Parts: sequence; structure tokens; C-alpha cells
Amino acid sequence: MQITKDHIGGLIFLLLSFTYGYYAGQIPLLPGDDFAPFNAQTLPNALTLIGLVLSVGLLVTASRDKADALKLSGYDFSLVAKLLGLVAIFGCALDWLGFFVATVLFLLGGYWLLGERRPKTLLVASLPFAAGIWLILTQLLDIYLAPGRVFSQLFGG
Amino acid sequence: MLDGIFTGLTTAVMPFNLLMVVMGCFAGTFIGMLPGLGPISAVALMIPITYGLDPASGIILMAGVYYGAVFGGSTSSILINAPGCASTVVTAFDGYPLAQKNQAGKALALAAYSSFTGGTVGAIILLFAAPALASVSLSFQSSDYFALMLLGLTAVAAFSGKGQVIKALIMTVLGLMIATVGTDVTSGTTRFTFGSVDLIDGVSFLLLAMATFALTEVIMTVLKGQHREEEAQVDMSRLGSMKLSREEVKEVAPTIARSSVFGFLIGVLPGAGATIASFLAYGLERNLASAKEKLKFGKGALRGLAAPESANNAASTGSFVPLLTLGIPGSGTTAIMLGALIAYGIQPGPRLFVDNPDVFWSVIISMYFGNLVLLILNLPLIPYISKLLVIPRPILIPLILFFSITGVYLVSFNTFDIQMMVIITVAAIFLKLLEFPMAPMLLGYILGGLMENNLSRALTISDGSFSFLWERPLTLTIASIALLVLVTPLLQRLWQHYRHKPFSSPGAEAAVNEGEG
Repeated sequence: MQITKDHIGGLIFLLLSFTYGYYAGQIPLLPGDDFAPFNAQTLPNALTLIGLVLSVGLLVTASRDKADALKLSGYDFSLVAKLLGLVAIFGCALDWLGFFVATVLFLLGGYWLLGERRPKTLLVASLPFAAGIWLILTQLLDIYLAPGRVFSQLFGG
Repeated sequence: MLDGIFTGLTTAVMPFNLLMVVMGCFAGTFIGMLPGLGPISAVALMIPITYGLDPASGIILMAGVYYGAVFGGSTSSILINAPGCASTVVTAFDGYPLAQKNQAGKALALAAYSSFTGGTVGAIILLFAAPALASVSLSFQSSDYFALMLLGLTAVAAFSGKGQVIKALIMTVLGLMIATVGTDVTSGTTRFTFGSVDLIDGVSFLLLAMATFALTEVIMTVLKGQHREEEAQVDMSRLGSMKLSREEVKEVAPTIARSSVFGFLIGVLPGAGATIASFLAYGLERNLASAKEKLKFGKGALRGLAAPESANNAASTGSFVPLLTLGIPGSGTTAIMLGALIAYGIQPGPRLFVDNPDVFWSVIISMYFGNLVLLILNLPLIPYISKLLVIPRPILIPLILFFSITGVYLVSFNTFDIQMMVIITVAAIFLKLLEFPMAPMLLGYILGGLMENNLSRALTISDGSFSFLWERPLTLTIASIALLVLVTPLLQRLWQHYRHKPFSSPGAEAAVNEGEG
């Protein structure tokens, strides 16, 4: 039997619906809510049921065509993982290094990962851009951007 | 109605709002031009900016971005055969062959005139249709709303194309599931938060929209290695004249008129949108053409370019009808606008034109200005704006990523949101590889809270009985249509499955499944 995208998708949503349904049963109810026509569990329970029916429906009617099999070749997963890793690091760096430094490093890292190697381009496309955005946010829009814990600990404030 | 029009006119002609129209059209044209980024991503990228504006200005800006993006998408379709969004895929069929014949200028001009006419005709019909429908829907009760939301959710699935119905429905349910995360507004209890304080308010709409559209679309271009492709340089000297001869105008005028009205009607249908409208208008025009003219389609036929361009802009305007009058988005893009309106504390729907007439009317009136801006400013500037297409992808992609992330961060100032975006993006990429459409998920998420409130109210009034679904003729009618819309494609799929017919869908449906529009 040919496993296709439909089968994988159906199976994932079947598992998701089971898990969702399990946690739907854990939602705390207020006293007397058990007998109320509508409580915090009503919609989640209904969604669990609909999710299960649709997942089974997808599995039953899934395409068995070889052309619909999941093909992962030809995709650059490594680069995507690095980029998403960079985004996650940017998230952490914002707290520690502050908006300006984190932005410069994120942009430099992004350009570098995507193949830009010319030092002049790397600097011109990151430093003035980050400075411009920082100025617009802090001076024009009057948004407070924390300086970053590293700088606060080093220089106080 | 005249009072409303004057209110709208007063708000729309305020210098700041006019500036928003111009900015929106420019930003939309630019973002829409970038292959891979469609109107949904363009509007999603604007949400953080609109949070600092008043509701009318914010929605005017987003509306400008919407039709600007649809217009911008056609530019990259014509010039480099790389549609900026799904709704301009058809534009490339005849637009690019024209550009290859050194008639890119004419193709761009025709696209601009068609878009302008489509958008303006749409805005005129909207001016009369929206208040009429809104007056009728003032008598709606919670049971009618619940049925309407069911219709909105099921209609999206119905328009998903062959083989995609169940996947679209599953994504709608996923969206509804995500909407249940956080504090339940009726009882105050927390659901699916797993003890995390960051999830008590639920998953932010902005975060979800950015992660599943803007971020995912950009990451998908990297995944497919498209960032390494060199864009075709736009040769200004080869654009040719932008003028259309009298014969050519005569040839395309009936096409533009037909497609504008047709596109608007398709756009009004909940779940349809600019993509479906452009494909159907192209098909209609091809069917109406004589055998000799039919041969020209796909080789640079002016009618083949005018039809989808008029239809997609008219449909963009048409999709505002269900949004403004019923609170149900007609497309993925208007679903994002619905979320933005809710974030403003405005309840879109029948009460909108009573409670917030400035928002209701100014959006409609601003569409006239928007279409004028697209024609007067963008048309002469398009050869220069299209130069932006040559910005190297390794520079452009990190910048778009940066705007997507900081757009979310600068609203919440919570770095947890960025980590959450990464997780949702990974899930969205995997789902896209499995060919699950994203727009129904967002629609389910946005309508989830409203649907639960109305269902809760209707069930409480009817003492827990589902009889509210058939007690009122209006509820029964809407619920029956929703059921019909839901069941018909499902039965078709089952029927085809048991007859062992292939589910493979043609290119048109594949594009429709991209869910843009």
C-alpha cells in the first residue's frame, strides 16, 4: 500500500484529536456546570468528535496515487533549520543584548546564512538599517526599548 | 444612507486617512510584487502598524494594502512570469507573453485600467449592497449568527478544490481548537494552557497570522531554494508604449465590464475570493470568445489579461460585503481584517454600520481613492517600483523575517511570542508540505470565539436544546445552506473514491488551494 500525504495528515490529526480530547476532559468546571447546557468543555468535546470523524474520513478516502507520496528530497531543510534557529536566538538575544545589537546580529546572521559574503554589503544592509529602525521606534514613535540585561548589569541602570 | 456617505466622506478625506490610502497602496503594490508574498502576508505585516492608529485609519490602510497587493502581484506576473500571489497566476497566462513581445508597457497599462475599473465597479456596488444587507441583518439573533458562522466556515472548505475539502475542514477545526486555548470568557476557567502564564490570554491572532503566512511563506521560498534564483532584470527600454489603441479599448471594454460584475459577485460569497474569481473570469471569457480568438488565449490575448485583472480587484472589494455586514470574512485577507477589527474592540457585523458608521463608510469611500491612487500614481511609477524586484533575495528575506518577528514582538514585548512563532512556523511548513491549506485555519481561529459565544447564548436560551437551529426560518435556511455546502463536496469525494476516479486537481485548483485572496 502506498502511504501518501493524505495518510500522514489523517494520522497526525487523529493523534492530535485524541490528545486534544484527553486534555478537553481535564478542563476544570465550576460547581453546577456539569448540568449547564453549555460549559467550558462543550465546544472542545464537540471539536474532538468532529476532528476524529474528519481524520478518519481523510484516512478512508486518502489518495493512493504514487504521485501523492510525501517527497522530501530537493528541499533545503538544513538552511531552514539554521534560519529558524537564528530567529529563536534573536528572541533570546532581545532580552540579553537589547533591540539594536540583537537586530544587527540577526540581520548579519541572516544575510550570511543565505549566502551573502561581501563585508561591505553585510555592514551596509544591517548597521544603518538597525539604527534607522531603532531611531524610528524610540525617537519618532516614543517606544521604550530596554537596553538589554548584559548592558544593564555591566553599566547599571 | 446619505448621512452615512457624508460621514464616510468626511473621515476618508481627512489628510491623514488619504495618506494611509496612498501608503497602503504603495506598500501593498511593493509587497504584492514579491513572488511568494500575497495579500494575506501583506495585510498581516501591516497589523502592528495599525495598532497605533484609530480603527478607521487602520482599516483604510489595510484595505489599501489589500488591493495594492492584488495589483502588485500582476506586475511581477507580467514582467517576470512570477505571480506575487495566487490571484494573479492567471494574469501571467497572457500578460507574460505580451511582455515577451516587447509589449510589457501595454500589458501593465491594461492591467492597471482593468484593476481600476474592477475595483471601482466593485466599490459602487458595495456602496449600495452593503447597507442594504446590513439593514436586513439587523434582525439577526444569536442562533442566526451561529448558523452564519457555520456557513462561513463550511463555505471555505467548499471552495477548496477537489481532493482538498476534508483537509480544509480539518484545518478549520484546527483553527477552532487553537481558539479554545486560554481563558474561557463565559466561565473564566483556563483551557489548554498547561500551566503557562503566557498562554492565559490564548494564542495571539497577530502571532498566528504572521507565523502561518508571512513567516511561513518566506521560509518556504528558502526551503524550495528559490532564494538562489536570480530575478530577471527589468529592462526599462523594452517596456514599450503604455498606450492602448481605440480598437484595443473597444475589444476589452465589454470584457472588463463583465468580469468586474462577475468578480464582485464571486467575491461576495464567503470563502471564495480573488483567486477563484480570476480563474472563473478567465474561463468565462475564453468560453465566450470565438474559435479564432480562443487560439490567442495564452499567447498574449488582451481579453485574457483584462478578465482576471478586473475580476480579482472586483472580488477583493466584494469580499468586504460579508465582512462589513455579517462579520464573516469573504477571503483569507478579510479574515485578518476581521481579527484586526476585533482587536480594536469593534464587532464587525450588522451593528457595525449603526455603532461605527465612520469605520463602515470610510472604508467604502476610501476604496474610490485607493483605486484612483493605484491608477494615477502607480501606473507611471510601476517601471520604477518594479526595480525593487531586483533586490537580492539574501538581503530581502532576512528583512522580511525581521519585520514579521518584530511586528509581533513590538505589540506584546514578550520574547515567548517569538519562540511560539518558530514552533507554529515549523508546524505550518510541515502542514504545507502535506498540502493542507492555511486560510481555513485562520478563519476557524478568528470565528472560533464568536461562534462559541453565540452557540452558548443560543443553547442557554433554548435550555440546552438544538431546536434553535430549526425554530426560526432564517436560522433554518442559513443552517440548511451550510449543511448543503458542507455535504455536497464530501459526498462527491466519497462518490469519486468508490468509483476509483483520481482526485488529482488541475493547476487552477492547486493555485486556489494556496488560499490567498
